[in-house]
Amino acid sequence: MSGRYLLQKLARAVLTIIVIVLLNFLLFRAMPGSPARIASHHPGVTQAAIDQLAARWGLDKPLIPDQLVAYVNATLTGDFGLSYQFRGEPVTEVIGDRFWPTMILIGLGELFAIIIGLALGAYAGWRRGSAVDRVGGGISLVLYSMPYFVIGMPLIIVFAAGLGWFPTSGMFDAGATYASGLDQLLDFAHHLVLPLTTVTLGLVGAYSILMRSAIMETRSEDYITTARAKGLTDGRVLRTHAFPNALLPMVTIIAIDLGYVVAGAITAEVVFNWPGIGTLTVDALQARDYPVLQGIFLLLSFTVVLANLVADLVYGFLDPRVRV
Amino acid sequence: MTAAAVTSPPRRHRRLEAARDFAVRFSSRTDGVVGLAILLVFAILAIAPQLFVGPLETAVTATGSSLEAPSAAHLLGTDELGRDILNLTVHGARISMTIGFLATLITIALGAGIGIMSGYLGGKADALLMWLTDVFLVLPNFVLAIALAPILLDIIGAQAELFGIRATLLVIVVVIGVTSWATTARIIRSQVLSLKERMFVDRARVIGTGSGRIMRRHILPNVVNLIVAQSVLTFAYAVFTETSLSFIGLGDPFAPSWGEILAAAQSAGAPGLLAWWYIAAPAVSVVLVVVAFTLVGNALDDLLNPKSAVRR
Amino acid sequence: MTVQDAATLRARRQWPMPKQAVPGAPLLEVEDLSVRFRMPGGPSVKAVDGVSFRLEDGEAMGLAGESGCGKTTTALSLVRLLPANGRISSGSVRLFGIDLVPKTERQMARYRWREISMVFQGAMNALNPVKRVGDQIAEPIEIRLGQPRGAAQKRAAELLDLVGIPEKRASAYPHELSGGMRQRAMIAMALACDPALVIGDEPTTALDVMVQAQILALLERLRRDLGLSLMLITHDLSVIAETCDRVMIMYAGRVAEEGPVRRLFSAPRHPYTAKLLSSFPNIRADRRTLDTIPGSPPDLRKPPPGCRFAPRCAHAMPVCTEEAPTEVRFADGVRVACHLFPPGAQGVVASGVAASGIGGGLVRAAALPSAGGRP
Ligand SMILES: Nc1ncnc2c1ncn2[C@@H]1O[C@H](COP(=O)(O)OP(=O)(O)OP(=O)(O)O)[C@@H](O)[C@H]1O
Ligand code: SF4
Ligand SMILES: [Mg+2]
Repeated sequence: MSGRYLLQKLARAVLTIIVIVLLNFLLFRAMPGSPARIASHHPGVTQAAIDQLAARWGLDKPLIPDQLVAYVNATLTGDFGLSYQFRGEPVTEVIGDRFWPTMILIGLGELFAIIIGLALGAYAGWRRGSAVDRVGGGISLVLYSMPYFVIGMPLIIVFAAGLGWFPTSGMFDAGATYASGLDQLLDFAHHLVLPLTTVTLGLVGAYSILMRSAIMETRSEDYITTARAKGLTDGRVLRTHAFPNALLPMVTIIAIDLGYVVAGAITAEVVFNWPGIGTLTVDALQARDYPVLQGIFLLLSFTVVLANLVADLVYGFLDPRVRV
Repeated sequence: MTAAAVTSPPRRHRRLEAARDFAVRFSSRTDGVVGLAILLVFAILAIAPQLFVGPLETAVTATGSSLEAPSAAHLLGTDELGRDILNLTVHGARISMTIGFLATLITIALGAGIGIMSGYLGGKADALLMWLTDVFLVLPNFVLAIALAPILLDIIGAQAELFGIRATLLVIVVVIGVTSWATTARIIRSQVLSLKERMFVDRARVIGTGSGRIMRRHILPNVVNLIVAQSVLTFAYAVFTETSLSFIGLGDPFAPSWGEILAAAQSAGAPGLLAWWYIAAPAVSVVLVVVAFTLVGNALDDLLNPKSAVRR
Repeated sequence: MTVQDAATLRARRQWPMPKQAVPGAPLLEVEDLSVRFRMPGGPSVKAVDGVSFRLEDGEAMGLAGESGCGKTTTALSLVRLLPANGRISSGSVRLFGIDLVPKTERQMARYRWREISMVFQGAMNALNPVKRVGDQIAEPIEIRLGQPRGAAQKRAAELLDLVGIPEKRASAYPHELSGGMRQRAMIAMALACDPALVIGDEPTTALDVMVQAQILALLERLRRDLGLSLMLITHDLSVIAETCDRVMIMYAGRVAEEGPVRRLFSAPRHPYTAKLLSSFPNIRADRRTLDTIPGSPPDLRKPPPGCRFAPRCAHAMPVCTEEAPTEVRFADGVRVACHLFPPGAQGVVASGVAASGIGGGLVRAAALPSAGGRP
């Protein structure tokens, strides 16, 4: 990986973040009738509060440069304003509380889905037409076509409401007191099982379908013939020659897919009432809590851009040819 | 292409032949044919839902009582307002498919337009457009859609109607279209790049045809195949996204798409109440339609796209 | 080459011979090999049809013929690496007298690379782009010969040195090497298990002329020093003239003619060989007068009955389109399948078939002693 590649990717990430910040400004500030819009949706927000807001963001001043400068300054210092809904609380704190539950859900979901999806896809693509390929391919396509909440709802019906194995919602038992940290962790894990299964299943389909075609593409490469000519076992050819090469396009695809994962996680959280960014988004949507929505938009976009940057670096690390 | 354009009857002949040839090749793809059959069923339901289940039931005209399990009277049970789920689901087909169709139109128009311009013009325009495409690829479109939808709604007002379509639905359509064109643009662009190298473009350019004309007359007809395949795949994505957006409350309660029905089921606590029938029909419909579009799209892509590669 | 020689050559190899080897059997004996490719919704492609040949220890055989005549398919079937839709439909491939055709995939692994290794055309594609060259060379030593990693790496470095690549480039990735270096690395890899036979499938086609010459010289040297046998597939007849002892000309999946290089190039008997030679450019020939072979090879899904060359052959007779010619062997070791040489008429050549001076010119251009008169 050359320095130039690194710089190029960094530059792209920075540019994208600038676009996101500008877009955010345009969406939430420059749209016509912002203060009036706020007032119309929030009878509870007093005229005084709106005036205060207007003064704070310089809404009486021209959009560019004054408002933009004020906005960028605030954003850079992590000031996203105050939530309407959770009166008076800074947006950063409202979001901060919800950040980790979502990260755990998405992070673990990605981890499991990558392991299962890549393994299943690689095997199916390698043994094209085998039972694993046919059955796995069918299941993958169905999972791929299921919105996360469509996966989650039956899980609740069967395993929570029906069999009673897992709680139907939340992250901890309501009002529970714990004897030890371990107890608390176990309760958390118990609540996590179904949402995590939902996110994992939601991702596995896409990953295995994509990995299958990536493997099939490498299968016809000359170096695979070379590896077979070397008398390596079929499994070894797959593991040490086909897989590492098929992994390369997957890194990029998984990174680009992160946006969809975030989307899926939002709906999965709603189904299980998981106290993360997803449920917060829906609450904020209903309450038209624009500062919070704006903060969420920034946070999720940043995270995805950052993850893409990481993916680019991983790619540069995995593919010795990268020097662009 | 150009050779056949000189005389028209052989050309029509050839087109017919090509169409027949394509139909034969497509019919050998079992997956594509199965997908097409499923789509046909839903298309018929969507065109005339009232023929099959009567007019859309509302809280006022509901024919059952709250959350009835499936029975002879209500084959798929009822919702918490006593409305027949079968009735809702069949009408949902119309709404979901319409939104999917319109969103696909916008997505493909944007994607193909930007892809063709970017690929054909090259140079700075290409660099700029592709950078924009990259940004949109990275931006989580669903999140962008969530941010965009309420603002648009507030601006035009949820009750307004445009072209006879309620604003809420229109917003969903626009939001899906505006946020998901990037993949299409990428794919079309790469096809245009390789087309550009082909001779007939050079010939057209030498004769002095303008860029716009070349793009319309020479490039577009040659990427039509790709656009068709891509449209079908986009349709799957649009239905999927519409369902998700409706589910988190951006849908129109008066136009129950499948996502909207599922959202209602969720807020009525159907999963916890074990009211599986409330969820089953709309959920299965969504999955079937998305699967079907994906099957048809993949089959078309394999048949029409010269280099179908690993991609979303 | 005598049996004595074969024994010495075999004794020079470091690793034990396969246990089932038949004493006194030639290195490679291919008999009546036929390969078919299944095609979706249509007749299968008869890519190789009744090919037989024999290769002795230490011998180099060239394999030539128009594109699509089945050279690669023949080579790949020796190690049973045909594409998924390909199948050996009949015949035998005996290595040291062991028939490889009925072997299971697992049994077959024993013979790959340890006995027969390959050098493919584009080393850029034939080498794994994400693995270091040294590791790729060491891989078969470690996995197939069970050597410890350190020893395998050391051996890989030695092999690189042997083919003229500095040892420290072992840590390079394929894309970091020049085309010639990659091809050398590929050759080093082919030598990793000290095989009895190396197959080169157009190993120099992608290289420029200078590098081509270097690679060929390298192959030549290695063959001499290591006592390798070589099967060299190429379109470049002068390369065969320079490098090989014998040459086999294929047409549309069948052997047209086979024999000692000098005999065959100076006095081609099969009309196709003659055409091939006279259509081959060489330093002396005036390119404008070069012959081309009119027409194109037959569709191998439904090859013509009789001689497959008949539609393009200037000497075709009525019998040619009806019956496939049988092979006849001449006293000078040349084998021909053509109705111009019916069985029993050995040693007789019909007039006007043999190539004009161009074939001889080729041989001279290739710095071989001038060939003797025609039989
Ligand atoms: N996987 C396959 N499926 C169907 N037909 C094939 C396949 N591989 C090769 N063939 C056909 O078999 C015939 C022999 O091909 P082969 O690659 O052996 O030719 P070749 O002599 O090596 O040609 P070249 O000089 O171009 O390398 C050709 O007609 C080719 O089209
Ligand atoms: S058999 Fe007949 S057609 Fe074939 S090469 Fe000989 S003369 Fe020509
Ligand atoms: Mg070949």
